[in-house]
Amino acid sequence: MVKKVNFKAPLLFCLMLFLLFISSSTAFAVADRHIYDEGNLLSDSEIAELEAVAAEHSRKHDVDFLLLTSDDPEIFFITNFMGDFFDDWAEENNQENAVLLTINSATRDVYLAGFGTAQRSLDNQRVELVLDRIMNEMRANDFDAAFHKTVTTASRYMEFRPGVNPEHIFFKNWFQILIAVLLGALIVGIMIYNSGGRITTTARTYFDDQNSKVITKKDVFRNKTVTRRKVQKQSSGGGGSFGGGGGSTGGGRSFSGGWRKF
Amino acid sequence: MVTHYKCPNCGSDMSFDSESGHLSCPSCGRQDEIESFPEENIIKEFDSEEVKEYHCENCGAIILTDANTTATNCSFCSAPVVLSDRLTGEFAPSKVVPFKISKDEAVAAFRAWTKKGRLSPTSFKSGERIKKMTGMYVPFWLYDIEGSANVTALATKVRTYTRGDTVYTETDFYDIHRELDLRYLKVPADASEKMDDELMDKLEPYDYGELKDFKMPYLAGYLAEKYDYDDEAMFSRVESKVLPYIDSYISSTVSGYSTVNYSNKNIHTQKKNVHYALFPVWMVYYDFEKKEHTFAMNGQTGKVVGKPPISGFKVAGWFTGIAASALLAMKAVSFIWGGVLW
Repeated sequence: MVKKVNFKAPLLFCLMLFLLFISSSTAFAVADRHIYDEGNLLSDSEIAELEAVAAEHSRKHDVDFLLLTSDDPEIFFITNFMGDFFDDWAEENNQENAVLLTINSATRDVYLAGFGTAQRSLDNQRVELVLDRIMNEMRANDFDAAFHKTVTTASRYMEFRPGVNPEHIFFKNWFQILIAVLLGALIVGIMIYNSGGRITTTARTYFDDQNSKVITKKDVFRNKTVTRRKVQKQSSGGGGSFGGGGGSTGGGRSFSGGWRKF
Repeated sequence: MVTHYKCPNCGSDMSFDSESGHLSCPSCGRQDEIESFPEENIIKEFDSEEVKEYHCENCGAIILTDANTTATNCSFCSAPVVLSDRLTGEFAPSKVVPFKISKDEAVAAFRAWTKKGRLSPTSFKSGERIKKMTGMYVPFWLYDIEGSANVTALATKVRTYTRGDTVYTETDFYDIHRELDLRYLKVPADASEKMDDELMDKLEPYDYGELKDFKMPYLAGYLAEKYDYDDEAMFSRVESKVLPYIDSYISSTVSGYSTVNYSNKNIHTQKKNVHYALFPVWMVYYDFEKKEHTFAMNGQTGKVVGKPPISGFKVAGWFTGIAASALLAMKAVSFIWGGVLW
């Protein structure tokens, strides 16, 4: 039985790999510029490196990964600042699909938004997951690493089917390997245990139906207890205040998103 | 005392035939019912020196046996003999399950069994190295058990439901009381010291529909043993077999609850009747890689037990195969569900 599976499975596996290869090698045209460091939070070499990373991942998903920074303490609503920027950017570049990380170092706000197709492929839940993972870098003012991580993490999440939690334990390789190894060990263990013959007598084998009887069978209700518990609203924990859940820009572009203080 | 069953036709020594259930003559093929076998053809020879030494009626040779053997073959002329004084008085069996599987069938069944061993080395699977097959009647005590159980428990039924944003957990508590009178019939325990208890337990069950009143001719042509342990000595072993049965019966009467906590469990077992019976077992001695492996086969049903050699290579193969298939299955699920392979 196993031999058969062994034979077929690698074939299927190769097919999947092939499909994956085809889908990932399709390159899209992308914008020339991804980093808009208006707050001067990054060095030139950092910008050059981030441009390369952003371009690479942008090609993969046909979604531009953008970084917008500011050090303006007057910006009250980071969503407005971000929305205005994106309305202009989208017109200029004729591209509606983008992931935009906006950082204001003066007000210590950070906002991550997904536009166009990224609204679905990087929905609110995934935005929160990305923000969870970059908050340490944000607090350390390591904006270079924060954007780098945003691009790679979001790009990874966008490979998953929309709506699926990409951090689900089932998708972890270590988990899959662990289950496979445990299952193999369990089944082979049972096979070894049973190789010497199984006990096939049961509690019924020697049971005398005719003369066995239940003399007393009493189930007396004694008391009842009721406990109540308030359902906690789902929260994604973590430090800092946060909010969001998307919205629309002044130009009428809707987006998914999440906001945090760092 | 040595007993021979002489063929009324030709005078040869007859032996029990598992296929017909009759005494059969190897020379002329005559078959006789055990119940109606003529008395005058049962030759009994009392030894002048009383017990211990037996002479074969057929060739006069001394029959060498150990102290517990009750049926054997003469080592010189191989005539089947039954040492009947070891089967009388307190050693008289009351029941017997006759052999149903002949030697040829046993060999075939054993070979078929070795082929089924998925983890056995391939060379073992050929089943070609049977060194010796011995048909043997093993002494068993069969106990009719009376068990009584008096049990009290606290059980709960838990119900959870949501109204608005509140989760309610309702727990109903019940006092449970059960009084049970349980009977088990003919629970076997092997009474021979030589036989491995675990092996003998795994040979069960025997079909009691074919349990016969004991007659000595059933033993002709096979080896047989008498018991080493009396029924008192074996009762604790049977008790330990029956207690889990009683436990599972108790839990089957307490059903429909979320949790059951037993506060009091009084279980008594006593034996009502004990039967001394002989059960048929084929012992298979098998040479493999210079080691002798012993297997036992139920002489009635053909079930084989005993530890076959395990091939590390095959274990690794099966493990790898199962683990790899499981991993691939999970990869397929994560591809279908999440759209990614890793």
